[in-house]
Amino acid sequence: MKKISLLAILLLTLPALRLLNAQSDQIWKLDQSSLTYHMSHPMHEVDATTRASLGKGVCRAGRCDFLIAAAVKTFDSGDSNRDLHMIQVTRGAQFPIVSVRLRLAQASLDSPTLDCDLEVQFAGNTAHYQHVLFQQKIEGAAHHITGVVPATLTDFKIDPPSFLTIPIKNEIPVRVDMIWKPL
Amino acid sequence: MVIAERGWAEWAGDRSAKVLLSAMVYMILCGSTGRLLAQADARQTNGQQGTEVASAKAEERALPEAPQPVAMVVSAGAEVDRSAALTSGSSRHLLSEPPPSDGPTLGDLGLTPADIEGNAARQALFDRRTHMLKVHQKLGLITVLPVAAACLSSVGAPADKGNYSNTATRDLHVALGSVAVGMYAATASYAIRAPKVTGEPARGGVKWHKYLIYIHAPGMIMTPILGAMAYNQINSGQKVHGIASAHSGVAVATAASYGAAILAVSWPIHLKP
Repeated sequence: MKKISLLAILLLTLPALRLLNAQSDQIWKLDQSSLTYHMSHPMHEVDATTRASLGKGVCRAGRCDFLIAAAVKTFDSGDSNRDLHMIQVTRGAQFPIVSVRLRLAQASLDSPTLDCDLEVQFAGNTAHYQHVLFQQKIEGAAHHITGVVPATLTDFKIDPPSFLTIPIKNEIPVRVDMIWKPL
Repeated sequence: MVIAERGWAEWAGDRSAKVLLSAMVYMILCGSTGRLLAQADARQTNGQQGTEVASAKAEERALPEAPQPVAMVVSAGAEVDRSAALTSGSSRHLLSEPPPSDGPTLGDLGLTPADIEGNAARQALFDRRTHMLKVHQKLGLITVLPVAAACLSSVGAPADKGNYSNTATRDLHVALGSVAVGMYAATASYAIRAPKVTGEPARGGVKWHKYLIYIHAPGMIMTPILGAMAYNQINSGQKVHGIASAHSGVAVATAASYGAAILAVSWPIHLKP
C-alpha cells in the first residue's frame, strides 16, 4: 500500500516539477533605450535618436534570444524635413520597423563585454553583423549596455542622399544605449 | 529455504515489473502533458491566425525546440572590423518570413500588424514629395544667380546724373529682375505643390526656412511692382518718388531673406577641413 502511495505521489509531483522547470525560463524586457545613428556629410554632421524602441529577450535551455525594434519614423534629428527625407530614403513608409535580433549564451549575460552576432532588418533588407562588442554594467537588476553597430547604407541597399550634389558618407554607425531588466 | 528463495525471486520479479510499469506510466504522462499543452496552445494559435504572438507563446510553453545553430561568444575584446563584421546582406520582408529562431516576435513587443505593415501608397507619396522638394532645392539654388545679377545690375539702373535717356543698363536690370521673379515663382510652386505627409509642425532649420517666406514672398511681389513704378517715373523724366523709392530697400530685404532661407534649411553647417 505504501509503495502504491509513493508511486502515486511520484506520478503526480514529477510532471508538476517538469512544468515548474519550464516556467523558470527567463524573460528580459528593455526598460530604457536610445538608438542614435550618425550621418556625415562634408557640410553636415547629424545625429538622430529614438528612445521609443521596444525589446524583449527570452532565455531557454541556456541560450537567450533578444529582439529590439523601433519605428523608423521615431528617429529625431531635430529637423523635421531631414527626418521625413530619411523616411523616404530608407523606404520607411513601406518598411516602417527596424529590428535587431541576437542570440547569446545565458551564461554570458553577466559578462562585462558581450560579443554579439546581430541580424538587422531595415529598409526591406537584412544585414548580419558578427562579433559586435557591447559593454555592460550591471547595477542591481538593471543591465546597462552600450555599443556601436557598424552599419552602412550599402548594407541595406540605400541610395545615399546628397546635398549640393555631394552624397553623405556610406557609414551610418548606430550608437546603442540600453537598460535591460529581467521580468 | 527453497520456498523462501522462490518467494524472494517472485517478490524481486514483481518489484522490477512495478518499477518498469511505473517508469512507463511516468513517461507516458510526462509526454502527454507536454502534448496536451502543445495542443491547447495550438488551438489558441488557430484562434488567432496571422498573428505571430500566439505561435510564439505556444512555442515558448511546450513545443520541443528544434536544433538551432548557436552563435556563441567566441572572443571578447577584439576590435570591430566592419568587413569582418558584416557577413551577408539579403532581401527579406519583415512579414513574409518567420523569425529565424524561436525567439520573441514583433507581436511580443506589443507592435500591432498596423504598426508593422508597410504602405506602398504612402511610400509613393514620400517619393513624390522628395522629388518635388529636390526640384525646389535645385531651382532655388539656380535662382540665386538672377537674384544676385539683378542686385548687381541695379547699380546702373538709376538715371545717371539727370541723363534719363540711357535705358540700356536699366533694361538689363529689368530683364534680370524679371528672370529672378519668374524663377522664384517656379521654385515656390514645387514647394507649394509637394504633398504633405505629416501634420506635425516643422522643427529645426526648415521652420526658419518657412518663417522667412513671410518676408521674401511679399518682397518678390512688391519689388517688381515698385520697380515698374520707378522705371516709368524715370522714363517719363521724373525723379523716383513716392512709394517707388522703396524699390531698392524692398529688393535688398527680399534678397537678404532669400539667402537666409537657403542658409536656414542647410543649418547647422559643419565644414570639414
